[in-house]
Amino acid sequence: MTFLNAALGSLSLKNPIMAASGVFGYGLELAQFCPPESLGAVICKGVSLAPWPGNPGPRVVEAAGGLVNAIGLENMGVQAFVQKALNPLKDRGATVGANVIGRQMEEYAQVTEILSDTAVDFLELNVSCPNLAQGGLSFGADPDQAARLTEMAVKKAQGKPILVKLPPLVSDITLLAKKVEEAGATGLSLINTVPALVIDAKTRKAALGHITGGLSGQPIKPLALRQVYLAAQAVKIPIVGLGGIFTGLDAAEFIIAGASAVQIGTAILVDPKSPLRILAELKDYFISENIPDLASLRGTLKNPNA
Amino acid sequence: MTNQAQISLVPVKKIVGRGQGAFQLTIQAPPGDYADPGIFAKLRVLKGEFPLLDRPFSVHRFSPQTGELDFLFRVVGQGTEALAQCQPGDLIQITGPLGQGLLALDPNFAQKPIYLVAGGIGLAPMASLLQSQKEPATLFYGERLGQSLIDRDYINSWAPGFLATSEDGLGYGEKGRVTDLLTKALAEEKRNIFACGPIGLLAALSPLAKAHGVKYYASAEAFMACGLGVCLSCSRLTLDQTRLRLCQDGPTIDGLNFDWNKP
Repeated sequence: MTFLNAALGSLSLKNPIMAASGVFGYGLELAQFCPPESLGAVICKGVSLAPWPGNPGPRVVEAAGGLVNAIGLENMGVQAFVQKALNPLKDRGATVGANVIGRQMEEYAQVTEILSDTAVDFLELNVSCPNLAQGGLSFGADPDQAARLTEMAVKKAQGKPILVKLPPLVSDITLLAKKVEEAGATGLSLINTVPALVIDAKTRKAALGHITGGLSGQPIKPLALRQVYLAAQAVKIPIVGLGGIFTGLDAAEFIIAGASAVQIGTAILVDPKSPLRILAELKDYFISENIPDLASLRGTLKNPNA
Repeated sequence: MTNQAQISLVPVKKIVGRGQGAFQLTIQAPPGDYADPGIFAKLRVLKGEFPLLDRPFSVHRFSPQTGELDFLFRVVGQGTEALAQCQPGDLIQITGPLGQGLLALDPNFAQKPIYLVAGGIGLAPMASLLQSQKEPATLFYGERLGQSLIDRDYINSWAPGFLATSEDGLGYGEKGRVTDLLTKALAEEKRNIFACGPIGLLAALSPLAKAHGVKYYASAEAFMACGLGVCLSCSRLTLDQTRLRLCQDGPTIDGLNFDWNKP
């Protein structure tokens, strides 16, 4: 399937389908449904310096045909991830991305430094989680802060490619994307979940223990496509698109909007085999539409009146 | 770190009403061992509308001899409504077996007399436990509203002599709470406890079991997205500060070492 080969800077991917952070555990848990080595990459659950406990439950609720979550980045910590999950994943031949989270810039720096000495193939800086009081979104919403964080991570990463995962709701996604590109990012992941609130009118209670959460799934696909499209006009670095991809045609739409690769999130929670199905459907699309390779489809959006 | 679960498509064999809004669904058993009480599966109806996520249900009964797997559920939303509309022959997508059962947690549990405590549709896994139980077992079953009580004859068919309560005193049960019955029984004879039901009930049983020095296992529930241990939606804490994923490290848990107060 070489016509579906993709690349993130110097890192080549066997196909453009990745498992998004947070829905594929630490990479091995769903292996009997979806072997991690069959994907372009798996991005493991966000890791911080020390383990984080996450938010009080309920942590997830369905709404508007999508999912709102406020897991709160519960994780085992970077050291445990490296010791328990990373080597078995690499032994299987998987391409592994580590999602990096932190409450302060210093924490991002330390986690990045630890990961730079491991077999991790690339890093994804999460500056866009809506479910943290400190860190996460508070970095990504401010272009200058996001740029400083990126610059720092690039210095610590010893040449490993760095994706920066951006938030969907910012006043100007192109400004944010440009600043992060200038700061040395290898690529961008667009978008993280959309800040959201679910209320039960009868009880007047919020559905989630954290009150607010992040909306994912099919309802956010048009929003995600637009941000990918705008960012792709503004920067030269590759963009990894995500947000409501459930089918091969969804993935194709993101590539048409300008993405070089895509991530599957909520669809994996619905069906852990879905990345393989989406990959097969994307392949069928390329064959039936007679498209020779990814680059021939990327950024080919047409005006309906042209 | 891997799951034993498989995703299978199996036909509905029977669906029988068991009281107001309550149904017993019998499907052809897919591959896998569903015998340990507390094991659950995710179900999805393939025809018509179904919500985004599969819905998790405790196994009600598992009969490898007849090749049947049963679930007992109450209609509470879109997913259970779709399930209730199923007809024999309709295909169900089942992901399972999932989670940890009671006998995986305590292999000797069934070798002593026990009390079973069921709150509401927490009745479901009790039949599975009684299938393998040789020692005396008494089932206490409570509903908030008497009208919600599941058919008495049906429960009697697998838990003869069970005792029921409802808080409004309507229906066939005694007026009161299921904990009242358990308190009385424990005063007469100490036995280990297995319970399933709302978190409030399960939490209330913990001090009771502690006071009487008996073992207490519960099948707990939480909203979950994946059911496969990856999303951490159902993560809870034990008293010794270990994180449990109810979908994988539970749903059967040691009720005496569980932080019932931290959501």
